This record gives sequence, C-alpha cells and structure tokens, in this order.
Amino acid sequence: MNRIGTVAIWAVVTFCVIALIALPINLQTQLIASITIVALMAVIKILKGEGIWRLIALALGTAVVLRYVYWRSTSTLPPLSQLENFIPGFLLYLAEMYSVGMLALSLFVVSMPLAPRAERSGQLKTFPKVDVFVPSYNEDEALLANTLAAAKAMDYPADKLQVWLLDDGSTEQKRNSSKVLEAQAALARHDTLRQLCDDLGVHYLTRARNEHAKAGNLNNGLAHSDGELVAVFDADHAPARDFLRETVGYFDDDPRLFLVQTPHFFLNPDPLERNLRTFEKMPSENEMFYGIIQRGLDKWNAAFFCGSAAVLSRRALKDTAGFSGVSITEDCETAIALHSLGWNSVYVDKPLIAGLQPATFASFIGQRSRWAQGMIQILRFRFPLFKRGLSIPQRLCYMSSTLFWFFPFPRTMFLIAPLFYLFFDLQIFTASGGEFLGYTLAYMLVNMMMQNYLYGTFRWPWISELYEYVQSVHLLPAVVSVILNPRKPTFKVTAKDESVLVSRLSEISRPFFVIFGVLFVALLVSVYRFYAEPYKADVTLVVGGWNLLNLIIAGCALGVVSERGEKSASRRVRVSRRCDFVTDGRSFPATIENVSANGARVQVYGIDRQTIGLDMDAAIRFLPYGGDEPEELPVQVRNVEGHGDLTAIGCRFTPCVARHHSLVADLIFANSNQWSDFQLARRGNPGILFGTLWFLRVALYQTSRGLVYLARSMKPKAAAAETGAVREATR
Amino acid sequence: MRSILAATLIASCAFAASVAAQQVPFDMSGERAQQPGASPSPASPPPAVPQSGQPLAPQPGPQASPQPSSPQPPAAPAALPAPQPAAAAAGPRFYVVPSDRLNLAGEYATRDWTIYLTPEQAEAAAKLNFGYRNSIYVAPEASNLSVYVNDTLIGQVPVQSPGGVADRSFEIPYGLMRPGTNKIGFSATQRHRTDCTVQSTYELWSDVLPERTFLEFDAAKMTAAPTLDDIRAVGVDEKGQTRFNIVVPKLEQSATTTPLLRLSQALGMLATMPNQVFEFSTALPSKAASGELTVVVGTAAELEGILPRLPDGARSGGIAAFMENPATQAPVLVLTGPSWEAVESVVENILAPVNRPENSTRSALATQRWTGMNTPLLTGSSRLPFSALGLKSAEFSGRRFRTGFYVGIPSDFYGDAYGEARILLDAAYSRDVLPGSHIDVYVNGSIASTVPITRAGGDVLRHLPIRFTMRHFRPGANLIEIEAVLQTRADEVCVPGTTASNEPRFALFDTSEFRVGDFARIAQLPNLGAVAGTGFPYGRGGETVDLIVDRIDNQTLSATATLLSQLAVMAGRPVATVPKASAAATGDGNAIFVGPISQIPPVALAQAHLSEDTAKIWGTSAQSASPDANADMLDAWRQKTSSNAWQKPFMAVSDWLDRNFDISLGSLRFRPGDEAMFVPPDTANLVVAQGIGPSGGGAWLVLTAPTPEKLQAGAATLVRNANWELLSGSLTLLGVGDKPMETRPVTRVSFLPTQPFSIWNYRLIAANWLSTNILSYAVLLACLSVLLGLVTFSLLGRFGKRR
Repeated sequence: MNRIGTVAIWAVVTFCVIALIALPINLQTQLIASITIVALMAVIKILKGEGIWRLIALALGTAVVLRYVYWRSTSTLPPLSQLENFIPGFLLYLAEMYSVGMLALSLFVVSMPLAPRAERSGQLKTFPKVDVFVPSYNEDEALLANTLAAAKAMDYPADKLQVWLLDDGSTEQKRNSSKVLEAQAALARHDTLRQLCDDLGVHYLTRARNEHAKAGNLNNGLAHSDGELVAVFDADHAPARDFLRETVGYFDDDPRLFLVQTPHFFLNPDPLERNLRTFEKMPSENEMFYGIIQRGLDKWNAAFFCGSAAVLSRRALKDTAGFSGVSITEDCETAIALHSLGWNSVYVDKPLIAGLQPATFASFIGQRSRWAQGMIQILRFRFPLFKRGLSIPQRLCYMSSTLFWFFPFPRTMFLIAPLFYLFFDLQIFTASGGEFLGYTLAYMLVNMMMQNYLYGTFRWPWISELYEYVQSVHLLPAVVSVILNPRKPTFKVTAKDESVLVSRLSEISRPFFVIFGVLFVALLVSVYRFYAEPYKADVTLVVGGWNLLNLIIAGCALGVVSERGEKSASRRVRVSRRCDFVTDGRSFPATIENVSANGARVQVYGIDRQTIGLDMDAAIRFLPYGGDEPEELPVQVRNVEGHGDLTAIGCRFTPCVARHHSLVADLIFANSNQWSDFQLARRGNPGILFGTLWFLRVALYQTSRGLVYLARSMKPKAAAAETGAVREATR
Repeated sequence: MRSILAATLIASCAFAASVAAQQVPFDMSGERAQQPGASPSPASPPPAVPQSGQPLAPQPGPQASPQPSSPQPPAAPAALPAPQPAAAAAGPRFYVVPSDRLNLAGEYATRDWTIYLTPEQAEAAAKLNFGYRNSIYVAPEASNLSVYVNDTLIGQVPVQSPGGVADRSFEIPYGLMRPGTNKIGFSATQRHRTDCTVQSTYELWSDVLPERTFLEFDAAKMTAAPTLDDIRAVGVDEKGQTRFNIVVPKLEQSATTTPLLRLSQALGMLATMPNQVFEFSTALPSKAASGELTVVVGTAAELEGILPRLPDGARSGGIAAFMENPATQAPVLVLTGPSWEAVESVVENILAPVNRPENSTRSALATQRWTGMNTPLLTGSSRLPFSALGLKSAEFSGRRFRTGFYVGIPSDFYGDAYGEARILLDAAYSRDVLPGSHIDVYVNGSIASTVPITRAGGDVLRHLPIRFTMRHFRPGANLIEIEAVLQTRADEVCVPGTTASNEPRFALFDTSEFRVGDFARIAQLPNLGAVAGTGFPYGRGGETVDLIVDRIDNQTLSATATLLSQLAVMAGRPVATVPKASAAATGDGNAIFVGPISQIPPVALAQAHLSEDTAKIWGTSAQSASPDANADMLDAWRQKTSSNAWQKPFMAVSDWLDRNFDISLGSLRFRPGDEAMFVPPDTANLVVAQGIGPSGGGAWLVLTAPTPEKLQAGAATLVRNANWELLSGSLTLLGVGDKPMETRPVTRVSFLPTQPFSIWNYRLIAANWLSTNILSYAVLLACLSVLLGLVTFSLLGRFGKRR
C-alpha cells in the first residue's frame, strides 16, 4: 500500500514506454508494431477482457496513439517557408492534438470507473428533512402536475418532505410587465399553478424579479425553506418513488458530502434518435455520460451537479451562499465551488427520474449551445486547472468536462481539411501513402478500438462523430461568441414539450445541405483528380477517402435535420400492470400496456366491444405503489380494437382533481426499475465492424431521406398534398 | 650532365621548423648547401600554397612573376609531345583522367577532379588535349562539350564525333594552372536529335578517352630537376592508374617489411590518387611510363649494384634523392643510407607530413583527386549549402537534369535503418513544366526519394524539404544526386527542333541545403564498408594492427602494400602494422592477413567464415554449380505463370507493400542464424573477408587469392576506385566481368563503441537496432505497454475512491 512507491514505479515504466515510443524508428518497424498491437487489442477485445485486461488494452492503444503523435509532430508538418500550407496544416495539427489530449483526459477519467453502487433503499435509518425544488419557467400545468405529483409521491415520511414549485414564469416582474399579453399570461399562470399546488399539497413560491435565472430561483427557494437536504428536479423530471431512499443515506455516510447525483433518463428520443429511429435499440447519447463518465468522475470525487435529479446538502450550499450564477450552467459551477471547498460528491448509477428532452432539432441545438457556452464560461471564469482547493484529479476531471465543448473547432477542421487539398491543392499534411497506412490508419483504428473499449456498450461506432458534427455546425458560432464575449450569453430555458406532427425539414437545416453539397463536389473532384493526376493518386486516394468519410457523416446528418412527423404528441412508456377497466359501473379485468403523460392503452378481458363508444367516459382502477387502496383514474376512450376476449382500448386521461395527477404519475414514474430495464435492453456493443456496417446503411438511407425532404420543401404546394403519402413512403 | 638530377633535404622539406636539429644526418652538403632550410612543401594538399621556397624550382613565384626570359637549356625537344620513346627532356605524357573511363551521360553531365602540378609543370602547361566520341543520337547543333580548368572555361566544342574518336586540343591560358592542386572539369550539354521523351535522354552519352586526354607542356620550360614534390605530381597512366615501383634489391629480409610498407603508405598518402598500385621488385624497371614512380630502397651497400652512382652522403646518413634510371633516363627516387635504420628514418620523414595525430579528427575526406573537392565529413547534425558542396546554380532547358555532390559519412555511421537526411531545395520550374514531372534523389545510385511536381503554371520552390532515407549511405564518400525529370507539352508534341530549345525549364540554386541530423554512431564488425570508407578500424590512431604475411615474396608484398596504402589513404593516416609470425601470436587487437589461400592460417579462415576446404578446392575447378540454380528457375517460372488477370490486383498490392515497406519474412526474426562457412567460387580471383578475432575482440581482415599472382593482380583491381567503393558486407569477392564484385551481407554483427557515452547517441543506436530488428520493437513495445497497463491498474487501485 505504498502510494509513493507505486507512483515511482509507474513513472519509471511510463518513462521507458515514452522513451521507446520517441525512437525515430523506420516505417517498416512502425507498421509491424502497429499490426502487432492492433492484433493484441483485438484478441483482448474478443476475449472480453475486463478489469486488468481493460487497462492493458488501453495501454497498448496508448502506445500506438503516442507513436502517431510523435510522428505527426516530428515529420508531417508542412515547412514554415510555405505559409499557405503551414497555417492550415498547423491548425489541423492543433485539432488533432486537441483530440489526443481529450483522449488522454478521458482515459484518465474513465480508465477505471467505479462499479455501480449497491441498492440501499431498504437501509435508510435516519430521515433528514428534505426540500424538493421544482424550478419552472414556462412549462405547462399538466407537465408540472405530473412532476409535482411524482415528487409528492416519493417514498419518504410525509412530515420530512416538502415539495416546492419555484415558479419563475409568474414573478411580480412578469405579472407587472408593461406588455399586456405577457402580464395577463403571467397572472393566469400564477393563479392556476397556485391552485394546482394547493390541490397537490405542494408549496408554491415565486419571487419579485427574474434575477440570476435558475440559480436565483433556486436560491430563492433556499431562502424560504429550511430542510437539511435539497432535492432539485427540472419541471419535466419526475422522480420515482424510491428516489430519496436511494440517495439520502449517503449523507449519513459522509458528513462532508454535498451532492448525490443520479442519471437523467429520458422518456422521449432526442431528434437524432427520433429521426434515425434508434431510440428503441441504441443507447441514448447521454448514457455515455451518465453510464460511464460520471462513474469515472465519481472515482476521482469529481461527479458534478447536472441541474436536476440530485440531492444537495444545505450546509454545503451555505458555504457558497447558494447556487453560483456567473455562468449559464450554474449546476457545474456550483459543484466546482463546493469541490474546491473540500466537499465531496457521489454519483448513483441508477435512473431514478424520468424526463423529457428537446424533441426538435432546433431546441436540441439550443440546449447544447447553453451547455457549451456555460462550460466555456466556467473554463474562462473558474479555470479548473488552477482552481485552488481542487485535488489534481478533480482539476483534470473538470478540465476534461469543460474542454470537451471545444469540439466544434477540431470537428470543423477535420471537415474542411481535405478540401484544402482537393480544391486548392495545398499540401497541409506531408506524408506518403505508406506512412498514412503505417501511422494514420493504425492510429484511427486504435482510436476506434479504444473508444469502443471505453464506451462500447454506451456508444456505437461513428455515433459520437455524428453527434459532434450535427452540433458543430451551429455550436461553432455559439462557442466563438462566448469566447469573444464571455459574459454575454444568457440563460434560455430549453423547450422540451414540443412535438413534430408533420414531417418537415428543421428550420436550421440549411447549412447541412450546403455542406453536404460542397463535400459531394469534393468527392467528384477527388474522383476526377484520381484519374487525371495519376502521379499523386495515392495522396488523392487518402484525402478523397477522408472526404468520403465526412460526406457519409454529413449525409447521415441530413436525416437528423429532417424531422419525422409523429402521430402521438407524447411518448408512451411500456408498462405491464394489472388494473380494472371501469365503465358504466361495471369493471373488467385489464392490463395497462403502456402509458404516456396523456393517456394509456389497456388490454381488457371480456368486455363487449359494442358497448364501447368513442369519447365515452370510463375509468381505470389500480393499486398505486404508494397506497393501500385501489383508486380510479378517469379516462376517455379514444379508440378500440381487438378480437376474441381481448380488447385493446386506447384512452386519454381526464384528470379532474390533483389526486388524479398523482395517479398518472404513479403509473408512469413510480417504478424506477422499468427505466433501468429499458436502458439495459438497448445496451449492447455491436463491435466496430458491424457497428460500422450498420452506420453505413443508416447513413445511406438517411441521406436519401434528407434529400427527399429537401426536394419536397422546394415545392411547398405539392408537398402539402403529398405529406401523407410521403410519410408512408419514408417509413 | 649532372648525374644527380635532384637531391633534396628531406628534413627541411618536411618539417624544417620543428625539427631543424635533424638536418644533420640528411644534410646534403654537395652543390646545394646554400639552399635555405625553410622550404615548406605542402603537407596536405591545399591547392594554392605557393611553392616559392622549392629548392630546385626554376620559377620561384609562378603567378607573380613568370620569367619567360630566364635562360633555357639548349636541349629543348620538339613542341609536340613525343609519345613512345621516353625522351628524357619532354618526359612521358601527362595523362589527367583518374579513371579508365570518363562517361558523360544524359542531357547534362559534369565531371570534376583535381590534378597536382609542380611549379614547373604549372608554368609549362600549354595545352589540354582530349579525345572523345559520342552517341549517334546526340544532336551536334544543340550539344557541346566544355572543358574547364580551375573553373575557367578553356574551350568548348560541339559534340559531333559519333563515328570515331575526335581529338581536340585547347590552349591553357598562361597562369591559369597553378603549382599544386588544379581542378579539371568536363561538362557536356547534350540533346537528342529527334526524340523528346525522357527515355531518349538515356541514349545520350559522350566518352572522353583517358588514353587521349593529357596535358601538353612547353618542353622548353621543363628543365628543372624533380624534387620530392614530384611524388604528389605522379599523375596517372592512360588507364587512370598510378603505379609505384618499389625496387628493393634485398627484399627477402623480413626486417625490411615494415619500413617498406610504411613507405608505400607514405607515397600513397602523398599522391592520394584513386587507383594506386604498388609493385615490388628487385631490379630497376627497364621501361618508364606515365603515372609511374620508381622508388629504389636499400642501404647504400645494397644499392651499389643497381645504381651507377649513389647520392652523395649515402654512406654517412639517410638520404632521399632523385637520380636517373640508367636504363630509361627517367628519374627514380632513391632512399638510402648507411644502414636500414637510416633508411627507416628517411621513410619516417617522408611519412611525417602526411601522418595525422592520434586524436585529431578529420573534417574532410581526401577525395579531391577524383571528385573535384575534398568531401566534407559529417559526424553529426550538419547543414551544408550546395555551394559548399561544389554545386553551382544551373539553368536547364532539357528534360532530365542530373547533378550531384559528395558527402562523407564516418565509419561508425549506424543510421542506415532509420536515418533520414533532408535536402532543402531551392529550385524553380517554368510554366511549361507539367504536373507529373518529378524531382528524385539518388544516394550512391539508388533512388532514395521522389517528389512529384504537382502544381502547373511554374513555381519557385524555396527550401522545399525532400526527406530521404539514409539506407544507402555508407562510410566514406557518398554520392548524392538530384535528378529533375521534366515533362512539357512541347515535348509531347515534339516538333523538329524542340530539343534544341534553349528556353530554361528548370533552375537549381546553390542556396539549397543538405541537412542531416545527429545519427547513431557505433561501429559494427564485420563491416567491409567501413574498411573501404575510412579504413576503419585499422586506421584508428593509437592502435597497432598485427600483420600476418606468411611468406614475403614480390607478389604478396605488392598486394599488402597496395591494400595498406589504400587503407591509409582512406583513413587519412598510416596503418601502424606490427608484423607477426603467426595467428597465434596475435592478441585481442586488429589483424590483417594477406597471402595466397594456402598460406592463410586456418583460424583466420574460420573467423572470416571461409570454409576450411577453401584452401584445398579454391582455384582448382573442383566446384559444382551454384546452389541458387533452383531458386532462379523457380523465379523464372513464377514470371511465366503470373500473367493471370485475377492475380494482378493482388500482385499490385503486394508490389506496393514491397516497394513502400520492404518487409520480408527475413526481416521478421529475432536473432540472425549462424553464418554458414563459405567457399568462394572458381570465378572469384580474390576474396576480402572480415571476421572477429577468436577472443571476441579485434577485427581480422583477410585478403587472399588462389595464387600469389592473382593476389597481386586482384589487389590492384580491388583498389580501383570503382571497385573499392563497392566493398561491403562481411565478405566481398572479386571476379571478372562487368560487375566483378559480389558481396555477402553480414549476418551477425557485433558492436564496437566509438563515441564517449551519451544517452542521445544510445537512443539513436537503439532506434537503428530496433529498425533493423523489426519484430523486437513490436515485442518490446507490446511488453512495455502491458507492463504499463499492469502498473496503471495497481496505481489506479490505490488512488481515488475504491470499492
């Protein structure tokens, strides 16, 4: 257990490895070494090596990456005498070194993530007083009703649990707005929400002015409450019943604990998942963050607050005078401040809340812009590397989290780099075809293998690149603006309750088609040059291949920005729960198949289909998780189908009293296990080869879909008539 | 007529200032007692050292004050050189080409070299005659041959002698030739008569015939007696060879071997000619020839029977003097004294000025006699502009431009596997040049890099980096050539007269740089390449080399002297040989074995991996056919069967891999196999082999042939520059034919540190070793990475949260 000894040995071994890597060996040796290491990594991968094998595979990969870095730094930069080559060449070099640096940081963060913690809901002994804050700005009543009801229904002694709706949408400032429409809306909102809170037994709180956005709102909540612990849920994040039981206990274990963060689980797909139809089968984007990165951060005591689905200690928040609000990502900023004061955090890797994420591409970009800008503000104002009080691992972790958001720069560079050669004949990367094979290809392969090793079950091949690309197009200006003007960005609430009813192009899709067009022309140019200039065919082949890769990703992105229309406004959650279907005073045994915030689908046994008419009032009676007696939830029949004894009835909830919202919440949110199960069902590592093939197929299809949408948007009149037909065709 | 033509005070000639006291034994008290002692004869070959103090030179200040009116002796022969009869006054022809062939190939070719002239010769040089013939394809109206002396154009002729040899003669302007080193340059610009393709440029050549290329002297001025300076001015014969006849009446005494070998080395190093041969005999030659110097060595008593008269004072002290050969009237150098000790001290005095102190390093290799300038020796990171390498800016209007320069690499160069050198090219090409043209770099004739010209419309390249592998570098002087292959639209159309166009297409500027970084330095043994390049390890200062010559006869001693002198020239210092009677007497040190195969000790054969049977079989026609016949046949059949269309793409990929990576199964092994014992084939006339002494230290060099005659002839052929440069591997055969040299690569190398310990050097050594032993690197990297993974695992387990 001699730490210094271990560090010393590690340093010596690292020095030896670096000394070996920094030898100016020749290309043949490099090629054989690359092949050897790739083969070893593949063997470890095939044998599904974990634990120590995982680190060995990563170390092997690191060796190849460092070889690439050495070679790239020493022999590929264009000469300084050719500035027209050197400047773009050096920018590309910087972009690559950024990527390598980020790889190094993420290796540090996730090379040995903490194993998921054991469930502890049954072991809770002390029950500190908890204030639950649900900050809201413009969310509608039904959404808030579900969230508040779910929060209220959490399994926790009622006298120790206070739920607060922190309404920033009807502050005095808004109610007294000089704009009459705004003022009236705020007044109406104020009244309805106050009524809703009364019905649900929840505290309603608003304030005078909308100062410091969400942070200010939460601080206002802190000022009006006195619980030992504070749980924060976004307006659309409804907690499961066991949320507090799974989290509160950690505060007993560690008196210096300020945060227990849990993952954000989303019931609806993000635009990429929706438009590419991957929601049901591929892990969500944020699962990589919550499934592994937060666990990695947790190992270094650097798991940070993500704005919602977390429990915080009031004592700790007092140290920082509440939530910090310099940046527009107050959550992470608060976490840095508390970590630097010596407070600890814990991450519980079990989805305990379910929420919504932006449905349209535009609001998705809006949300990401806020995150990117906020994180860069943190980098600017709270530079974590030199932040006093943080441990060295914490500094690295926060650097990793904030620097990540510079990805639009390298992504853009990788996108345009081949064009320098194809269009302007600039040599920004001096290497022969053989060197590309021995170094670059090996590096790319190893990089993919390492990514797959680190995140394989959470992120499929090329999906990271796709996400980065679709964000980069609009994030680049946002990031540039925050770098130039760090204090300018303001907190904008992301709309999450939108829906796309009609298939259409996203309103911010145009640049994607332009880029696709340019890359396509570049493809034609590369084909032409391959034949017309045989003396540099090998370079053209390499650069053209690189451009083709960009084109494939850009083509896939066309599908992402082509929003598919959806019939139902809100997402259905699959459940399986016994109930009784009550109509006209008679009850029939039934099973709830799926539920959404608005309705449910039940399989009813033995009912006479003739007796059921559309829009007929009925009720579903079931035993809520939090109650002893079965209760009835009023519904309206929307459609009926079936044969034999089973009848499937689609119905819409018609909640009249607050208790009905609680019942809806109970149906959807109460059982957190169903979310874990859903996540587990789509986790799976297709491997690099199959993942790549799958991605190619998707990209090809999405390209054509994007182009069809584009063609349709060009002739809007005809489109209106054909919408239905095309929608069928595109399915 | 004076019987003593010349006699020179060696001590005063060599280092008068430093060892003036030694004058006494050599004091030539005869006619020239009055001559001042200070007469600095150039110790090293800088060209422009004024020879003002030469004792016997009639023209004290050749450039400053020519004295046309100085009294001439009456016996002036005819102005035209008299070829065959060795007329005493005119002397033999002064041939200038230091090679048996002077070929100027392609559209642009230059050859430079230097000759050494005594002040008298410089003064008397009147004409340069040369004969040439050329390819039928050379268009005379667009091609010409220029001759330069000391970078001054002395004449230019159209290249128009396809039918036979044409002789031309150019006047040498008075004063252009200087005493000492003078540069001669031939430059050919040649264009094809009809064809505009790049391929056609390979059909263009001109041959300047060495046997018809000579300097003509104004005989009236050639009256002075020869001096020791004439050793340097020995010149070449019509085949470019330099011959030293060493006449030793009592050759058999083994005690004389060492001084004689030291004498040969001294003579060789003074002349520093590319093809120097030594021949021992016991009697004076009966014929005199060009490029030849006869040296008579012996005590005064021994020489009495040979020479009609001895130099004055020969019986009282060691002396070196020029006398006349009674048979040929040609001057002979006589080294004599009352005893062999006195003779030895004379030899040492001749040797002293060319000897190099033990720890002084050279900055250049003495190659100017055949490359035009001494080759800078690069011992580490260096950058040299082309102007410092003897290259001049040039414009070019043809399609294939080729020019080159030499750089010297030390014997302990160990960067062949990983090393990269760079040329930062300053060049320009016109807008006529089409993309697809390329600039290639050749090292010692092997292509090392290709840079395509990809931009149309002309460009000025400023310090364009061309990286190229150092794989073809070898110790000694290395020829680096730059070739620009230029394609234009006009050439594709090729209307008549296109080739004659003078529109420049390409320009190379002498501001271009040759750059090389620090390279690994450790000596490898065996390595005949290092022996050839710098005489390593036999020419290292401070170490003696055991010399085992079993029986001293004319042939064996000639071969030994030829070899040692060559080694000394390459090493820049004489080899300090210690004669040993047997192999058993040699210790850990280096050793050289010379002799016919029957006389080489078996242990030396074994160490050099020559089979024991060699002594019995070699040269007796008892050998069977080459064992490689099967492989050749298989290859031939592969060629025949690989025409299948399906195989083509695979073949292309495999070829590409082979071209780009040069990976074979042979390079994927951990340790080399044992070196098999070798029996030279009957076609081989000479074998040079190197092995490591049985004690593990010391490099043993074996020079052997089936018979003493073949040994002598073989040694003479071996040291011809063209052959000597090809010496490499652990064993080299000298056979007959166009490519007489055949080499066996080294399979097991042992290393000999030559540099003070430095981490940096060892890092580069490791890089080269691992680049040679490819699989070792892969395994080492994988193992260290695995270790890193393990250590990191244990490290991460001890830090951060645990569960």
